[in-house]
Amino acid sequence: MSQVAIVGVGQTPYRRSHPEKSSRELIWWAAKEALNDAGLGIDAIDVIIAGVAPDALAGEVSVERSGMMGIGKPFIRVNTGGVTGSSAVFAGASYIKAGRAKAVLVFALERMGQASSSQQVFNTIFDPVYEKDFPLTTITMAALRASMLMRLYGYAPRHWAEIAARNAQAARKNPLAHLHNDITPEDVLKSPLLAWPIHRYEACPMSEGACALVLVDKSLVGNRKPAWIQGAASTSDSYAMGDRIRRKGATLVDLLSLSMSAKRAYAEAGVTKPVKEIRVAELYSAFSSAEAMAYPALGFCESADGPRFVEAQATDKSLPVFNPSGGPQGANPVSATAMVRIAEAALQVRQMAGARQVDGVERAVATGQGGATQFSTVCVVGNKPNT
Amino acid sequence: MSDVELVSIPGLWAFNYNYFAGANASRFFNELKVNRRIMGTRCPSCERVLVPARGFCDACMEYTTDWKAVGPEGTLETFTIVATQFPGLPKPPLVMAYVTLDGADTALINLVYGMDLSDIDAAAQKLNKLPRVTTRFVDDPKGRITDFSFQLL
Repeated sequence: MSQVAIVGVGQTPYRRSHPEKSSRELIWWAAKEALNDAGLGIDAIDVIIAGVAPDALAGEVSVERSGMMGIGKPFIRVNTGGVTGSSAVFAGASYIKAGRAKAVLVFALERMGQASSSQQVFNTIFDPVYEKDFPLTTITMAALRASMLMRLYGYAPRHWAEIAARNAQAARKNPLAHLHNDITPEDVLKSPLLAWPIHRYEACPMSEGACALVLVDKSLVGNRKPAWIQGAASTSDSYAMGDRIRRKGATLVDLLSLSMSAKRAYAEAGVTKPVKEIRVAELYSAFSSAEAMAYPALGFCESADGPRFVEAQATDKSLPVFNPSGGPQGANPVSATAMVRIAEAALQVRQMAGARQVDGVERAVATGQGGATQFSTVCVVGNKPNT
Repeated sequence: MSDVELVSIPGLWAFNYNYFAGANASRFFNELKVNRRIMGTRCPSCERVLVPARGFCDACMEYTTDWKAVGPEGTLETFTIVATQFPGLPKPPLVMAYVTLDGADTALINLVYGMDLSDIDAAAQKLNKLPRVTTRFVDDPKGRITDFSFQLL
């Protein structure tokens, strides 16, 4: 199979809204920047993959129409909820791995700034027969998991607050992040309670913006600056959260789909000791509890050691750096968020991350979480191709 | 372009729909309305009793077979206490939880009543100890998932 490299990254800033840009202009901004970074024109692109999650967030049906670029290319839209962005990347990479394309442009757009209430829209993503009558939203869905983590593994409110404050501080170094708030764990705990145990400053913002990547076959890398996709895996699970609560082997908070994706991506990338071999992790964690669930799934610690792992991050500098971009708690353009994780991981291994650059990154991991965690993706990128 | 007056055009989605529950969920809803009981269906492969009832087990890719009444009591597994009003959603504070009813292998979501919510942190401590609950039906069931809720025992 061919090897795939990311040679172009384009991102708009992520903001509450971009009233100065139409949907087309947001996509075009990110796509043009990615092509410029890659040193390629649109004629060099064989395939375009568009990632846009629920239309209702933007209030525009078939919003992929805003992403037409060039003429005469296969074009696919992907929607897998939160993993829309990484699914788009993997779809593009599959074309190259299969030898059906040499260069693919993938983009993801989030236009939820046009919605006056995202949580009202998010309620409609749940099952209309058994679930939609309840106040299920992305926030309450995360809260139902957080309380289970507290019961099973001993997480306390201060752990959620510490993760949120660390990501907030990291976001201040990222000019593209939506929030740049100077907040402490105490500030998080004092902010209004949304749905126990989630406080306002722990919840991701609703952000809009676009992200684009140019993926190429090894033969096109030349003297371009690559982030090699060393391992990539996308895995599904049952939808019903209630079915997973007592499931033997992997409960709701064990993130079966993420741990399966990690095992497969690590095997492809040759990662055997993730805590030593991965320097940066860009996690799809719109809430602190989502970050905590990812640690054991990605092999960074045992589930029961999660609370201590959070505490150790403040002092043990040998541990991987989590979300140097600020992660989704700093900006959450939902359709694009999983692609942003890969983009940020690629910038880190290409040493192009500006003020948020971590020293000595040879390998980074990016995750995606979608739906009621029935979709998970793991992408390992590095500064060398697989041997 | 920086001095241009930016235009935004108002939009509203107000489409009407009728969501088809299908024969299995319809039977589940009829059981709520007529017999005031909660039914699950068994997967012949993994042998789990799936609640709420459905026509197939998505993990095993098998049709479910026998129907079985579960509850009315059960164990509250995990919960949240909604504390902030969001547009279009019910008025807080309220407790929403997954409960595994006795005889079921999966949990179902509904609202929980019977908690003193004047101190939310104290209520949360109590709810995070796997408390027992029972099912309470409304006076006039309509054949909807909202015909019942859970009551702390």
